[in-house]
Order: sequence, then structure tokens, then C-alpha cells
Amino acid sequence: MNISLYLPNKTWVHQLDGRTKTLMVLGIFILAMCFSHPAYLIVVFGVVMGMLGVSSAGPNVKKTWVLTALLFCYSVVLWPFFVEGMTPVPVLSSLGVTWEGLLVGMGMGLRLLIMLWGGIWLLSTTTVEELALASQRLGLPSRVGFAFSLAFRWVGMLLGAGIGVVQAQRSRGLDMTSGGIFGRIRKYVPLVVPLIGHALRQTNLLAMSLESKGFHPSATRRFYAVQKLRLKDYMVISVVLVLIGLGCWMRWKGIGTLDIRF
Amino acid sequence: MSVANVVSDPRRWWSDLTDVWRDTRLIVLTAQIAAIYAAILIPFKAGIPIIPGFVELRPANAIPIVASLLFGPAAAWGAGIGNIIGDCFGTLGPASVFGFLGNFIFGYLPYLMWGHLGWLSSGRPPVVKSWRQGLEFGVVCLVASAACAGMIGWGVEWLGLLPFAILAPAIFFNNIVMGLVLGPPLLGFLYPRVQRWRLRYQDIYPSLSTKGPNFQGVETPAVGGPDSDPSESNFPVLDCRDVSFTYPSQSTPVLRQVSFSIHPGEIVMLLGRSGSGKSTLCYACNGLIPHLIAGTFSGVVCVQGRETVADPVWKQAGRVGLVFQDFETQLIATTVEGELFHPLEYRDPPLSSAEMQQRVAYALSRVGLEQCHDRDPMAMSGGQRQRLVMASVLVQEPTLLVLDEPGSDLDPAGREQLREVLRHLREEGLSMMMTEHDHETLSYADRVLVLDEGDIVWEGKPDELLRHPSLMRQWGLRPWGLTECFEGLGVDPLPISVEEAWIRADALNLVIDPPSAVLDSAPGLANQFQPWDRKASPCLRVEGVSFRYAESSVLHDVEFSIYPGDFLALLGPNGSGKSTVARLLNGLLLPTHGRVLVDGLDTRTTPMNELVKRVGLVFQNPDHQIFADTVWEEVAFSATNIGCSEHEVEIRVQEALSAVGFNVERSGQLDPFSLRKGERQRIAVASVLATKPSILIFDEPTTGLDAVETDRMMAMIRELNQQGHTIVMITHSMSLVATYAKRCLLLKEGRLIGEGSPREIFSMASLVQAVGLKVPLITQFSQRWGQTLLTVDEVKASFQTGSS
Repeated sequence: MNISLYLPNKTWVHQLDGRTKTLMVLGIFILAMCFSHPAYLIVVFGVVMGMLGVSSAGPNVKKTWVLTALLFCYSVVLWPFFVEGMTPVPVLSSLGVTWEGLLVGMGMGLRLLIMLWGGIWLLSTTTVEELALASQRLGLPSRVGFAFSLAFRWVGMLLGAGIGVVQAQRSRGLDMTSGGIFGRIRKYVPLVVPLIGHALRQTNLLAMSLESKGFHPSATRRFYAVQKLRLKDYMVISVVLVLIGLGCWMRWKGIGTLDIRF
Repeated sequence: MSVANVVSDPRRWWSDLTDVWRDTRLIVLTAQIAAIYAAILIPFKAGIPIIPGFVELRPANAIPIVASLLFGPAAAWGAGIGNIIGDCFGTLGPASVFGFLGNFIFGYLPYLMWGHLGWLSSGRPPVVKSWRQGLEFGVVCLVASAACAGMIGWGVEWLGLLPFAILAPAIFFNNIVMGLVLGPPLLGFLYPRVQRWRLRYQDIYPSLSTKGPNFQGVETPAVGGPDSDPSESNFPVLDCRDVSFTYPSQSTPVLRQVSFSIHPGEIVMLLGRSGSGKSTLCYACNGLIPHLIAGTFSGVVCVQGRETVADPVWKQAGRVGLVFQDFETQLIATTVEGELFHPLEYRDPPLSSAEMQQRVAYALSRVGLEQCHDRDPMAMSGGQRQRLVMASVLVQEPTLLVLDEPGSDLDPAGREQLREVLRHLREEGLSMMMTEHDHETLSYADRVLVLDEGDIVWEGKPDELLRHPSLMRQWGLRPWGLTECFEGLGVDPLPISVEEAWIRADALNLVIDPPSAVLDSAPGLANQFQPWDRKASPCLRVEGVSFRYAESSVLHDVEFSIYPGDFLALLGPNGSGKSTVARLLNGLLLPTHGRVLVDGLDTRTTPMNELVKRVGLVFQNPDHQIFADTVWEEVAFSATNIGCSEHEVEIRVQEALSAVGFNVERSGQLDPFSLRKGERQRIAVASVLATKPSILIFDEPTTGLDAVETDRMMAMIRELNQQGHTIVMITHSMSLVATYAKRCLLLKEGRLIGEGSPREIFSMASLVQAVGLKVPLITQFSQRWGQTLLTVDEVKASFQTGSS
């Protein structure tokens, strides 16, 4: 089962170095943290949407928009109950909801959207191998990156096995929809145990197959596809650094921030 | 370093955590825990809803605590990485950092705390069998859940995403409920098994101190004597001398002083029943035994004159390429090229990029995958993935290629592709050793070794073995039916091809002229089955059924009926829709168009609990359903699910176990996980039989079984059919179809393209070829006389002396 969000499009963004793309998404996260006012955050949100558009990542946005929209709504609904303000909202004033609280809720909801869709943009344009390579070149130990890519690869296999497990137990009459809450939780046992058992039975075999193919924790990994940063990478990195600098300066000056009191 | 040391000296935490990255098994465990956590997290994101999409009870939240008590620091890393992978499906962002940290703590604290809580500690293993253990588990769960929730809640509020007071309690509630409810049964099941598999952290940890990364090899004298030169052309590539091995869990050796050698360009085939020591011998060839597989080893294994004990396994990849039977475990990358570059990236001394590129291109061309370099391995067919694994070991340019049952999990098309590659590698002069149940591959071997109970009991040319069916039967191998037809007729040598059989028959003046009783009979000549009754109402009716998954259409307007007492074989290449049909028949899937009627009940409107009483589906992999501590509990599960009383459950379990030939008395103590695959498969059948279905569907019931286990499984299925069960069987084995099936359905690309008895189907050569199948040799032989015979008995009964 293929579970990756990567979309093999031939856009210029896809051709950027993994480090550049990682820096871009970090820049987006930093910019999102610099502002709390929705009017400013919507500009950053626009940048993210633009990046998604340029990368032709629409299918992944379509896949995840329900989840992200829900999270945005939670944020807008929940924050007003935790934020103090001066201007009560007419109908909800008895609950302590103020316009300032709603503004914070919208701002935080937008921040959430920026961060989530920024992550989706990175995963849409970068393969797991590229991420592992970029993370190693940015200082992450190669063994950690390797374990991450191995796990990512095995999730697909386990999901396939998981579907088999659910079908096998349903075929034996397991009904997950009936019973009380604790009874239903206990019904997960016949689903989770075969999946874990199936995976753990293979541990020794997997370790043997890795070493048989020449892997060892002490060996140094030298990636084949070591890209060098090119002109367009430097240009993008420059723009990102300028934007981060601008964002931090505005934050320092108090531009685009709300005075949030709990 | 012991856990006690770590707890007493927090400064050692860091080294305890980093030690995980020094051992391959711990790295694998870390990745597995991450994968398990993410795999349970993703499909169960919609768990038991409290606030749908926001606060849901998800079973995944029990994993870190359970893993922590089994695998120590590996669980901490695994839980952290698993959470990030889960986030990679739509929620990756800065909050993932706090998700990582929270889950890391959640996966580390239980390991640190268990046994170190003073008077609260039970002083016993982390399973909940007494109130003290329960109390200790509760405290550990409470603290770890709170720490995890606190970390994530604080981080997410710090990022300004959600208030602490909203998120942290939700996470805490999820962790504590799932930990307390699911944790004890999961630990109860996993702890003894993980202990048996020697996978607990304390089982692996000592190996770190004894097997350092700088394992130095020792040069041993060349096998051919002090004056021999490994570069000489007649110098053995592989030389095994008096090799013996005993697994720790067994009292008798699996290999007993095995000696043989393989010369350059030679292809040696290992044959033998399951458990005869074939795979163990494969593992000895690249040093997995004794480096990574525990046990008692003696003897010498030399590859190109160098002992395998002299170098660690990873350093031998350039000499010996090993393809495992379960080849899927060797796939680790998300692209074909990535799969091939990966082993080269660890070469010492390193290769240049140009040489890497050259090797990858060459390896792909050797297995015929040049056009697939940028494809995702998971999107490829089983045969292509098998060849990709071969390429990923060939890229190291080994002198010896070892293949452990390479064709066992492939369909006929995949096996044909594999043979093509073997033919190509043979022409190149690569030395190979392979184990196989598929005798068609035998023709590529120069020499055959038959292993039986750890001894080499026969050695010679493949032809010589095939011409002696009695010997093959003696060692649990299946002789060729064609050869068996001529046994007892005074023919010497016995034929092993259709052409030879034709010549022998001609020499004996034999013709095939079947008496009408043979052609009228159901398969098996003796008309031993109850004839299936077409006059009766169908017990299963598929009416104009189409089915599509989210992205692709799988079945198109399929229509057929199945009658009581039938034994139906569903045939077709991989991807033709056979398994989808099986799942539609028991209501697991519902048709996109059309309908499926089971005893007149529409599967779209009938509850699953009603359908399972009528249709039982036995899956290909029994491990996808086994979860109970004992065989008895495993079989009782189905009967309990459909609401049987305790007394009724007991009766049903006894009946079901008897039906599959299992010892009812022992079933209360027997751990299903400890059984062989054939036995686990029979447990799976018994657990389905416990619901007393009249229709049984078997999805490739003999995959991975040897000849003896296959015969036992098929005898059981035939017995069930004789008892009145209607059987539907998915299989790629035409000899099984010929011997057992009464009727066949042929599927191709989701369409039903043929229906009839095996004799009718096999007589239509073009139809059979269209679905990539080959009729048995015996049938091909009889077709030379214009007859379509299916079994040895049929051919023998049809031999007549010719008039001229």
C-alpha cells in the first residue's frame, strides 16, 4: 500500500534541494509564529497557498481539507473561552466570549492552517529519501534518518496487513460497533495483537536482511544522490532569509501581534 | 549498563538512549515500533468518538507504554518517530516536535519506572497477573500518560495553536484509558512471546558489549590446501565442511555435519521437506549463522576460501548475495533506484558515484527491470519485486547468489519471469545455490542435494532424482505425475517430459483410450465425492456484480452461481479479482453494482454476524487472525462472537478441532504462535468452522506449504467437502485443481471469461493460456491423444495396448 503524500510532479519546486525546501518550510513556521493578528497571518497563509499551487499539490490539499477545516473551527470556537477581552459579543457575552477572543481564535486557526499546509507542501514535493538526505546534511545522524525511512516504508506494509487483520476478524464475527465503551476498547485486542505479533516475528529476519545487504550501524553512509545547492536554491534561500528577518523585525516592533491575556 | 544503573545515574540516560543506534536489531525494533504505532494511529484516527475528529479513543495510544516495558529505549525513539510519521499524513508542523518529545517520554518513562518504584514495585516482569503488578502498571501508566500529555499540551499552547486546558486533558484521557484497558492484555500476550524470540531489550542489550562495530576478520587457510589459490577457476566458490547447527529452542541439530561445495558457475538446488534444514544452510552461507542467529554451530563454511566466521555479515555482502524466502522484508526504499543505491552507500571502501550508477544500471538490466528505475516498489507486481530484491543483492556483484525458495510466493507469471532471470544469470556463469519446492526450476540446476532431517541424503543430477519417484516420496518431495504414470510398467528410465513420455508410450505400444467411467467421473476417478447438485437452489448467487475500490474498477458485471456440495476453484492471474470475489461472497465487501445472495439473503442488507454463520472465509495468511494465548481460545473466538452459550462454544470448538485433525486435549495449553505454518493454517480453518458455515472459502490455502503439508491440507478440505460443505478455493496450482475441484471459474482483469469442469477448462488451451496458466504435464500428455485427463489414476486407467 502506497501511503506517501509525495506527488511526482515536474515543477521547479520539486527540483530544489531538500535542504532548501526544509528551510522554506521552517521559514513559513517562523513567520506564522511572528504574527498573531489574522490580517497578517492571512498574508502568510496566501504565501503557503501559492507554494501549494506552484507545486501542483492540489490533490493533497483536497485529501486533507476536512481535517484542517475542522481544526480551524475548533480553534475559532475554543480560544475565545480562554482569552480575556473588552468587547463582548452580543449573543455570547454571558459565556464571556469577546470580539478580541474571536480575533485570537481566528489568528490561531490561521496559524494552525499555515503550519499544517506548510507540512503538506513539504511532503508533497519531497520524497522520504530526500528528507533523510537533507536531514543528514543538516546534522541529523544518518542512522536516525534511516530508521525513519525504514519505518515510513513499513507503515505501508503494516497498513496492508492491518486491512487483512480487520477483514479476518470481521469474518470471524467480530463486531466493532456494538457494546459499551470499555467493551469496544477491548475489541481492539484481536486487531492489534496479530498486527504487532506479525511485525515482531519478522524483527530478526529484517535485521538479518539488512546486514545481508551490507548495512551496519557503524558503517558510514555516503549518499549517491548528493545534490549541490544551485543558483535557484541560493535565490530561494535568500528570499526566505529576508522574509524571516522582516518577520522577526515586525515582531520585535510589535507589528501584527495581538495583546493576548488569559 | 543495567536499567538500575540508568535510573540511579541520570547522567547515563543519554548513553542508554544512544546505544539503541549501535545495534541493527535495535534499529529495526525502533523502526518497527514507529511503523506499528503509525499504522495503528492512521487507520484508527477515527477511533471511538467522544468529540469526533478531536477527542477519540485510539488504540495506538497503548503502544508506547507496552513497547517501553518490552523494548526499553528503542520504544522511546520508536514512539517519537512513529508520531512524526503519523503527522506526515496531514498534521506535520512545529507541533510535531512536541508530539515527538511527548511520545518519547511516554515510551521511555515506563521502562525507567518499572521495578524502581520502591514499595510499589512488584519485583516481577511487566505483565499484570497479580494486584501488585496491576498497581505498579497503573502508577506507571498514570505518570507516563500525564508527562506525555503535559509536554504536548504545553508545547502546543506555547505555539499558540490550542489551549493547554483543552488538549492536555484529551491526550491524558486517551493515554490512560487505552493504557489501562489495552495495556494488560497486550503485555500478557506479547511478553512471553517476545521473551521466546529473545527480543526484549535485556535480551539484545548484552550483544552490544560483545559485538563491537570493529569486528575483525581472520584469514583462514584456503580450503583446497595451503598451495591452493582462490583465483583458480576450479576453486570452490562455497565450501561447507562438517557443518552442524542446533537452534537454542531445539534439542536435535537442524544440520548434521553437512559437507558439500559449489564450483564457479555451478547451480546447486537444495530440496527437502519443511524443517529439513534448507533455509538454515542458506543462512550459514553468508555468516548469518553464527553471527546473528543464536545456536550451537560447528564446522567450516568458506566462501572464496575465506571463512564466514571471520567477517561480520555486512562485510560479506560483496561475496554472497542472499535473497530471503520472504523477499518483501528486503525492500526498504520507496523507489527502485533507491533500493539499489542503498547497499552501495554503505560500501567500505566507498564507491564513486559513477561506479554506483554503472552497477545499478547493470543490476537492473540483469533482472530485466531497466525501465522501472523510478517506480515505487510497492506499486510493482510480486514477480517484479522479487526480481528487484535479486537486483539489490546483485548490485554488490557477489560471487555466489543464494536464493531461499524464490518462487514460493509468486503466481505462475511471476515464477516464469523468475525462471527467465535464472536462465540469464546461468548464461552469465554466476554460481547459485537455491532451495525450491517448484520442480520446474530444477531444470536450471547442475546438481541437486536432498536434505532430510539435517543430513544430505542424496546428491546428483536433477534428472536422476526426477526419474525416481519412490525416492522423492521417501523424502517428502512430490514426484512428477507424468513420471508416476509409468511406474510399474517396466520403463527405464522413467520419462520426465511430455516428449519422453510419448516415446516411452510408443515403445510400449500404449495408447490413451479412457473408458467412459473415467471421463464421466468427477476428478479423482473413483467418484469419491458427492456429486454437487445443480438441480438444487444455488447457495450462493452472484448477480451482475461490479466492484470498484476508490481509484480503480476491479470487477465488471460478474455473474455465477454456486450449488450445495460444490468444490469450485477460482482461477486467474494476480490482480484478476479473485480475492475481491471471495470477500464479496462473505459480505466483507459490498458490490458497487449488482448483488450477492447467500442462501437467498442479500449481503447488502444482511448483518455480518448472520453471514459468517453461512460463509466462512479462510485467509491466505493465518497470522492475520491469530491473537489468543491458546489454540482452544483462538477457535472459541468465532463461536463466542456469534453469541453461542458457553456449553455450545465448547461443543463447537471440539468439533472444529476434530475436523481439522487437531488434538482437542492439548489445545488448552498449546500456543498457536509456536506452531508450524501448516498447523496455524489448520487452526485458522478450525476457527472458521466453529461458526458452522455451510460454505467455506479458502484463499490460496497451500501457499508456502511443502508437499506433505499440502497433501494434509487438501485431504482436510476434501473431507470437509465430503461432509457436505460447499468449497470455494482460490489457487494457482493447476495440479490441485485437476485433483480436487469439480468446477472452475476463470477470471481475467475483473471479468469472468470461463466456467466449467476442470476437464472442460483444461481442454480449452487458449482459454487457459489467456489467464497465464499452464495445464499439468499429465494433461498435456493425454491431450496428444485428444483426451483431457487430470490425474495419474485417470491416465493409468486409460492406458490400453495399441493395435499395431
